[in-house]
Amino acid sequence: MDFDWTPEQLGFRATVRRFLAEHLPPNWETVAHGPASEVQSEFADVFCRKLAEAGLLVPHWPARWGGRDADAWTAFILAEEMWMAGEPRGGQYMNVNWIGPTLMRFGSEDQQQRYIPQMAGGATIWCQGFSEPEAGSDLASLRTRAEKHGADYRINGQKIWTSYAGYADTCFLLARTSPGKNGISIFLVPMDTPGITVREIPSVIGEGDIHEVFFDDVEVPESAMLGIEGQAWEISRASLALERVGIPRFALASSSLARAVAGLQREGRFGAGAVEQAARAHAACEAARLYSYSIIDQRVHQLPTGPEASAARYATVMAERLVAEFVVEHLPQALAGGDPLLQAHHQRAIVAGVASGAAEVQLNIIATDFLKLPREPR
Amino acid sequence: MDFQLSSDQASIIDAVDRLVQRFKDKPIDAHGFVLTGEALEREIEEGGYWDIARIPELGPVVAAYAVQRLAHSPFTAELALSMLVRPHLPGHPIGEWPRPLAVVENGRPGRFVATAKTLIIIDGDSIGLAQPAADDVEAVESLFAYPMGRLKRELAVQTLSADEARELRKWLRVALAAEACGLIQAAIDSTVEHISVRKQFGRPLAAFQALRHRMAECAVLAGGLRWLALRAAATGSDGDAALAAFQAQEAGTRVGYETHQMLGAMGMTLEHPLHLWTYRLKALLSELGGRGGQAQAVALHCFGKL
Repeated sequence: MDFDWTPEQLGFRATVRRFLAEHLPPNWETVAHGPASEVQSEFADVFCRKLAEAGLLVPHWPARWGGRDADAWTAFILAEEMWMAGEPRGGQYMNVNWIGPTLMRFGSEDQQQRYIPQMAGGATIWCQGFSEPEAGSDLASLRTRAEKHGADYRINGQKIWTSYAGYADTCFLLARTSPGKNGISIFLVPMDTPGITVREIPSVIGEGDIHEVFFDDVEVPESAMLGIEGQAWEISRASLALERVGIPRFALASSSLARAVAGLQREGRFGAGAVEQAARAHAACEAARLYSYSIIDQRVHQLPTGPEASAARYATVMAERLVAEFVVEHLPQALAGGDPLLQAHHQRAIVAGVASGAAEVQLNIIATDFLKLPREPR
Repeated sequence: MDFQLSSDQASIIDAVDRLVQRFKDKPIDAHGFVLTGEALEREIEEGGYWDIARIPELGPVVAAYAVQRLAHSPFTAELALSMLVRPHLPGHPIGEWPRPLAVVENGRPGRFVATAKTLIIIDGDSIGLAQPAADDVEAVESLFAYPMGRLKRELAVQTLSADEARELRKWLRVALAAEACGLIQAAIDSTVEHISVRKQFGRPLAAFQALRHRMAECAVLAGGLRWLALRAAATGSDGDAALAAFQAQEAGTRVGYETHQMLGAMGMTLEHPLHLWTYRLKALLSELGGRGGQAQAVALHCFGKL
């Protein structure tokens, strides 16, 4: 058991930091005010292509797909540094973390050739068409349907709270092809397909973040289906397992806490009440960090990842909440134009317990699969 | 970064687990607040487990691991200070201060004080070491599920330098976190067992979401603490130790309340073993300055200054 980084890992972290220092603009604080805002999305587009050129976008991907077969630690160190800096990759993290690897595992040769090189080059953004007005945590009840018409599928329905839909080139779409839990399939749908309408929903997360997406007689060929009919549940479970600890939100929470504490120290206001709250938030951030590391360690040792991934995710939710509360109580001016980075963190922190599966769903998983408690009656 | 135990480390932990397994049940006729484990202590002595932290291939992280597992037993003995603090006591020769150890913090009664051979005496910012005679200490009755004792008179104390005191506080924090971690896990396991079989309104208590979610939150807190305590033992960093001790007292407060609440009236009895872990936890919550004290240490070591 060893809690130190290897010299190679330290070197890689330093490389990422150098890249960030060289490529984040002097006005980054004002750019980083909303992960899907127009200004940050345009910046992310350029930034991700440079990351790809430097071999820092998908180092953990197979060499065949533009990576260098680096291990899961490399990917996580990269993600930690990006999140600490305010995640300048924008919506690109979805491709890097789970959409790309999911296509590598379940995609057809044509799908892989069409989409993966674009992702590896940082040249495309995806959105995930999961939630619907009547199907949030309860994905099994989704209604968007895809009906066979000759060689094509015709898609009708509505997705909601879809991140990055305004900029996305392609949608990773869940749609019903037959009744029941096993009647859901996945389609890879270009967002410029006729019949798709995107409407932004104003949100507390920030400009341009979430959307409604309407599908009106959208026709896609059979070749747009990922896997086979009814395989969505299996594929989604595999994807969400990658997603759950793929986003080191604790890293941004931790750097935001340090920034807030430094602000209080400069003003001579880091007193008794703030000290205890800061310790509580810091302990929660570090617990979430180590929890997430333990999952990465399992991956590196090729051990199965179980409900601990949900525990890591929930630990991160607790950390996010404590840091956000700390700033609200002790540095409220940060949310009133005083500190754009802390404001951006606060706006993101509110998503922590909702995105990638609600926190309560994680608690259910922990109760059933980790504590082995009897299930609730249905 | 590697969170897996080596084969040597895993062998030791397996042996500790087998030992704990033999001391896993509270005797049916034991109804006191305190349940001491003299036989468990003898087995640890005979197995040479006190010295785990001094063996290079094992080290403090495996000692912390072992303390966590041993604290899971309903039987208690002075384990954590002997395994994690004693190897770092300054003096002559290092590590040869006799065990058991106990802490007297600002004159208050402390765990194992009445039977300790070495006392760590904390007086404000000052820390000293002393070897009490039998008549210098006495046992006191308490609600805590440890044998508690106090000093009867002032002792001749070997006062530590500021650096030595800082080093000692760090390992006291690691020991506190490791022990609390085992107690919390035992309380959770005991409660999980109860709410899985106890039925009300026609179904197990654990089938009610109000309880499932709170229990799951307790499990997340316990898991986070476990990693913080192991990291603190592995790195020997002041900041890591302060964070681990803070989280031990934070999680201990929450888990102590939740587990008793979920056991209902059963948790009020001395027949059920829950109190053996939760009332030990209560003893730990105020140690080393409590959460306020750990928070000050976190501020100093993690944030640089106040």
